[in-house]
Amino acid sequence: MTGRTWSLWSREFDSPLLLASGTAGFGLELMEMGCLEGVAAVISKATTLRPRKGNPPPRIVETRFGLLNSVGLANPGVEDVVTRVLPEASALPVPLIVNVAGETVQEFASVVERLETSPVPFGYEINVSCPNVSEGGVAFGASPSTVERVSRLVGQTSSRPFSVKLTPNEGSITESALAAQEGGAGAVTVCNTFLGMTVDWRTGLIPLERKVGGYSSPALLPLTVARVHLTCQVVDIPVLASGGVSRPEDVLELLAAGASMVQVGTWLMRRPWSGTELRDGILELLENLSP
Amino acid sequence: MTLDRETLVLEREELSPGIFRLTLSAEEDFLREAGPGRFVQVEVSPEPFPLVRRPFTVNRADAGSFRIVFEVKGRGTDKLSRLSEGTRLRVLGPLGRGYRMLPGRWLLIGGGMGAAGFPCLAERIDCGLILLGASSGSRLLEVGGFSNMCITEDGSSGARGLVTDLLDRVRWDDFFNVALCGPVAMMKAVVRRLPDAILEATQVSAEARMGCGWGACEGCSIPASGGGYLKCCSDGPVVPAASIDWDLWEGV
Repeated sequence: MTGRTWSLWSREFDSPLLLASGTAGFGLELMEMGCLEGVAAVISKATTLRPRKGNPPPRIVETRFGLLNSVGLANPGVEDVVTRVLPEASALPVPLIVNVAGETVQEFASVVERLETSPVPFGYEINVSCPNVSEGGVAFGASPSTVERVSRLVGQTSSRPFSVKLTPNEGSITESALAAQEGGAGAVTVCNTFLGMTVDWRTGLIPLERKVGGYSSPALLPLTVARVHLTCQVVDIPVLASGGVSRPEDVLELLAAGASMVQVGTWLMRRPWSGTELRDGILELLENLSP
Repeated sequence: MTLDRETLVLEREELSPGIFRLTLSAEEDFLREAGPGRFVQVEVSPEPFPLVRRPFTVNRADAGSFRIVFEVKGRGTDKLSRLSEGTRLRVLGPLGRGYRMLPGRWLLIGGGMGAAGFPCLAERIDCGLILLGASSGSRLLEVGGFSNMCITEDGSSGARGLVTDLLDRVRWDDFFNVALCGPVAMMKAVVRRLPDAILEATQVSAEARMGCGWGACEGCSIPASGGGYLKCCSDGPVVPAASIDWDLWEGV
């Protein structure tokens, strides 16, 4: 079934795969390793108005069936991103969607305003759902009225389409998705990591400094499938699925549940050639399906 | 080139209880680039869990194969220790920045498994002396063919004490370079006692809990002396001792 295409924001792709924010940097390392074949677009690490050094180590703890992370939006700030990183990223063989985070509604718009001066971004992903920061994180994205205000302000500032990345942790994801659509978002990302924590029961020690982190795992797939399905019932804009993908079958399942495109994140850390492996896998599965 | 390679477990040896050495098949291009201090990310199992890969320094690279040495610490190393010869294993690498191969005589200081990368290094430099410390003799990774001075916490091999106790016996004027690798507490104690001129010539092979291993996820941060963090996987794992904020670094 060659010739199969998927589309996002009026652009056709020969793959439905996006690389999830935070797991691919700005795509530069993957480009250097030759890992971007089969990838529709890279979603960058979060970019904030000012540089953020991120949370103290350890930032990653593997648990029995998943991974907790607490990176804390480490990034060099939008000025450095625009002047140094994006010119390098213009060499990427695929489009770059820049993930944007802020501590206030206005800050999201300020970051986007600066990014608008660069010709590089294909679009934006507005991160109103980071579980690892004290300002602008989960609680922020759980309020539909805040989500709508952020979407509206970003929409007024941006000439480019954007997706709003929603939280599964608080509030109603369908209400937030509707609010994003109402505010002018061109897509919603369903969803960010789940709030998780681990404690050493012998010592009582909690390895992450902020105690809780964002939990990801192939085992989360059904949670994403459900949220994608429910969100697709209420919005008309594309739904970008994120969470639990490790096999070609997972990608096809999320597409069948209504997703327009599918992100791969934690699995990409293990398999940097995920884009190629999963795209080839789904083409083969689809080929065997058709008579 | 960094590639996700399918290697073959050629040999599995238990060097002492809980410490294993795996010999893995390797192609020429890998061996050429797997310089001292660089590492590989091993996919422990084809099953989804353990989820992320586990990083190991290259212990030694020979014709057609290379070795990793590790102590069983958790689920990943436990699984690896049980692999039988002939198993296929996916290995991403070589990754990271290794030692700067500077001229002049080297002093190597290792604690426990920290010495796992020393054989690869020692044979390519002017290695004058290797100081090794471990909890007991069975935990010492001596490097054959070189001058090893050993100390153990229980006195079962060499003197009884810590590797820092050996520093008084070093004639610092003999050395131009130092390689340091071990548990963070041990490295902190060593760094505090190094003469200033030697500290400037010290390269540290660092360790951190790692996500991707290729510079993207920012999971393996180490506090940097100038503020902010180094990425263990791509700024290192070998970094100048002076680039680390030793007060803030708590290690794995």
